[in-house]
This record gives sequence, structure tokens and C-alpha cells, in this order.
Amino acid sequence: MAYEPRGICVNSTEDDLVFAGAARQAALMRAKRVSPRELVTAYLDRIAQLDGRLRAFITVCGESALAEASRAEAEAARGEWRGPLHGIPFAVKDQLDTAGILTTSGSALLRDNIPPDDSTVVARLKAAGGILLGKLNLTEFALGGTIRFPYGQPRNPWNPDHDPGGSSSGSGIAAAAALCSITLGEDTGGSVRSPASYCGAVGLRPTWGRVSRHGCFPAAWSMDQVGPLTRTVEDTALVLGLIAGYDTKDPTTSHSAVPDYREALAAGAKGLRIGVITELVDGAETQAEVRSAVREAARGLAKLGAAVEDMSLSFVHHAGGVFMALCDSEAAGRHRRWLGTRPEEYDAGTRRRLIAAGLIPAMSLHRAARARAVIREQVLGALTKYDLLLAPTSPHPAPAIASHTAPVTSKEEAARRFFGRRSYTTPASLAGVPAISVPCGFTAGGLPIGLQLIARPLAEASILRAASAWEKAAGLASRRPSLVNLPAHA
Amino acid sequence: MADLGPDDVRRLAAALSLSLSAEDAVEITHRLNAFLDALAALDPLPLDRVEPWPTSPEGSA
Repeated sequence: MAYEPRGICVNSTEDDLVFAGAARQAALMRAKRVSPRELVTAYLDRIAQLDGRLRAFITVCGESALAEASRAEAEAARGEWRGPLHGIPFAVKDQLDTAGILTTSGSALLRDNIPPDDSTVVARLKAAGGILLGKLNLTEFALGGTIRFPYGQPRNPWNPDHDPGGSSSGSGIAAAAALCSITLGEDTGGSVRSPASYCGAVGLRPTWGRVSRHGCFPAAWSMDQVGPLTRTVEDTALVLGLIAGYDTKDPTTSHSAVPDYREALAAGAKGLRIGVITELVDGAETQAEVRSAVREAARGLAKLGAAVEDMSLSFVHHAGGVFMALCDSEAAGRHRRWLGTRPEEYDAGTRRRLIAAGLIPAMSLHRAARARAVIREQVLGALTKYDLLLAPTSPHPAPAIASHTAPVTSKEEAARRFFGRRSYTTPASLAGVPAISVPCGFTAGGLPIGLQLIARPLAEASILRAASAWEKAAGLASRRPSLVNLPAHA
Repeated sequence: MADLGPDDVRRLAAALSLSLSAEDAVEITHRLNAFLDALAALDPLPLDRVEPWPTSPEGSA
């Protein structure tokens, strides 16, 4: 059956429904107060009305989603429930394989790529009853720094002139603007946490090896990790519990049992020991509004019963440069053939980024690999004293799109644009530990600010309980982008 | 350390059978010089006491 948009919902009850968390929507579905088809239709309406400007989606699977919704509805009527996501629409970064559906990794080079199988994470969400609504926009090959997006310029729902963050740009937009119930992104050096921070959503990078990467186009294999991007911490816990765990198709996945992350939320922040990374909170690059919001969140967590104190990670300022050298050289190796045979099909920003890293001398690269081990040692060492480390996700709110599409004109500018802010998210990536970004405030200009919490390997539950306690205390999850000044099409 | 120039970068790229446009050569030069500075800043640090493991063995934290 063909889908025809009905127009944007103006009914506050329907608006509440699309912005509700997936956990709440699932409960409403079990109570027969909303049907899978109603929910899918509500999101397809929003996509039709808003996504011409926001450009969160590369592919919308409207007809197949409605067909799946009808099937889910019939099953529910018979009392058959597939799992906790029965009838819940989800969307995934277009870096993740979906059987029979275009999967571009955000690049023109893969404009015709239709994989035969689902990635493991997509298969697991479907097995839990989720309905695939579409594929989400991203910076080319999940690398960041794209100048011209081949599938449309993604825009921040809080201000369309601003960057939504990357590389999981569409995942952040779709979560924040309520274009689907839940999303998946992929985080190599902050690619889930950055869009979560810029868009006012919740984004988790799990422990390296906690979630299967089978069917995920690699950015940098040694640091890539798939993670949820949602509107609430509870939904992030819900999704993580479904996608985590050993996968025979990914030998890097952990055999460790997957805890009940949602149950862990009830423990709150009481008793957690939290170290505030002073180099990142008080550093010269951190804007005053960000510092103030993050310090306020630290005080808030202390009021909730956590033991919070300042601490130092002396190598942290090297993290951005070290990460970029290692990530980009890995990626350059993967892309070498296409860089030689199809260079003009890359976005200029991606091509220049890859080639520059491909020319780093081996001896310098080896020093970077040793520096990664030292940074990891410092992070893991701190996490023997603290349950969580706290920092801003980004030193600044979402920058204007125009600010980072101009050519690079000096090495100092290159370092500032490409290394500086990455020192905030890459310590967790280099150490292979889990980290979340959760909203902690807004600037005077109305842009979201993200709080980052980092934990020891496989301690996602500690992150989630603190983030959930903070989320409830701060009351920021109910704040929504107005989306009123968006023309229907860019 | 002296910065590389676009001609140096073109020669390095040629060793990988990559040819660069004039615009690409200029910007890649800035980016590569930024990398070399950032990684040179690691030289004084005590890095030789660790081995360059890419990941931490599970449970070692």
C-alpha cells in the first residue's frame, strides 16, 4: 500500500506520542492505546514534513515499514509479541548493512550498494520486534569533515544553520526531532556522542567489543563501535540490552553476559565516585557556557549522592592528534585503491583527510600507537579510583555549518579544526571504554550542551544509572526543538 | 622541523601512485604538517616504557 503524507501533527497528544521514549511507546502499545501502524504513520508524516530541510534520512522505507506495522498489529491482536520493541519504528546510520536496502556509508562511491544481509545489530532490533523506518545520513564513510554531502546537508533541529554533529548526523537529528522512536549510530572518535551533544539527544559509545560490528562499514577498525542514539537514557539502556553480546560473526565481541541495563537505572547516582577531568572542563578551549553547564551537572550529581571531585589526565590534550593519526591512517589504508582509481567521487574534505593521513611517516605513526597505550593506561588508571569520569562532550555547542566548510589555509587552522575538539571524545575511544553524552543545558542562543560520562570496560550500567538520575533531576528531556522555521524543502 | 611544501607532498603521494590537484596538494600539505607537529610533540614524552597495543585485553582494567 502506498504511503501518502497527511501533514504535520499539531495535536499535542500526537506530538507527545512521537516524542515519547520507545519504552513508553511500547507500554502504550501493550495497553492497546496506540497501534504500530499509527506510530509508523505519525513518523512518516513528520519525515515528509520536516526532512526536506533537516536531511536526516538517505532512504525512507515507508511502504515496507507500513507492511511490517500491519503484520505487527495482527500479531498483537493475536497476543503474539515478538519482543520489547514490538511495533516500534527505528532507523539506523547508513553505515549499517540492511538486506535489500541501499547502504551508502554517506558516499557517492556506494550509491548502488545493496547488501544481501542485515548487519547483526539491525537483525537483533528486528528480532526484538522493531520496524526499520529508514537509513540515516552521515558524514562520508563516517569520517567527519564532509564539505558537500552527496545525499543532502544534514541540519541541526535546534537551529538549521548549525551543524548536527557527526559522523552519525542523521541519527542525532532523527532522535532530537522525533522522526522515529530510536536510532543507531556508530562511534569511532565521538561519532555518536558528538551528534547527541549538538542535537540534545542521548548517545552511548559502548565498550569496544560489547556490540557486534558485523555488517558495519569500518571507519577505523580498532576503535569503531555501534551504539544507540535516543531521546532518553531509558531508551539507550533498552537498545543497548538488545544489541549487546557475543556474535559469532564478529570475533572481537565479548563473551561477557549482558546485564539488564534498564533495571540498573533504578540504582541512581548514589555512591558513585566521579572524577571531573579538569583539563577538559576548565581548558582554554572550553567555552564559558559549556563549562558552567558541566560544572552545574557535576554539582547536581553530587546532590544526588555521588562523590564528585576534580582530577587530572595529563595526556588528554594529545588525544585528538593521536586519534586522528591512527584513525585516519587505518581508514586511508582501507581506501587506498579507490583513492587511486576513483578520487573524484570522494568529497574533497574526505579525500584530503585520507591522503594526508596516508602520508604520515611510519616512525611518527608508531609513536602515536605508543601514545594511545599511555592514554589508555591513564584512563584505565583513573577508573580504578573513580567509577566515572566527567567532562564536556564538546568544548562548544554546535558550530555554524558555514564555519567548517571553507578550505584549510594553515597547519595551525588544521590542528584547531581537526584535533582540538576531538581531545574531548577520543580519550574513551583510544582506551576502548564506554562513554555517554547526555544533555546538561542550553546556551543563551538555544543550542544544547552535552555532558560526557566515561566508565571502565563493560561498566555501561554505571554510566546509565548516573545519566538517568541526572536526566530526571535536570528535566531537560522534555525540552523539544520548535522546528517552526523549517521550509519544507532545502 | 621544517614544514613540508606542496611539491614535497606531491612527491610523497606519487610514491603511493596518487596524483594530486593543485588545490588538494595545498590543503593536504597543511593537514600533513599539522599531523607532523602533533606527533613531534610526543617525542619528549616517556612512551618507550609501553608497547603499542591497539586494544586492552578484556578484563584488564
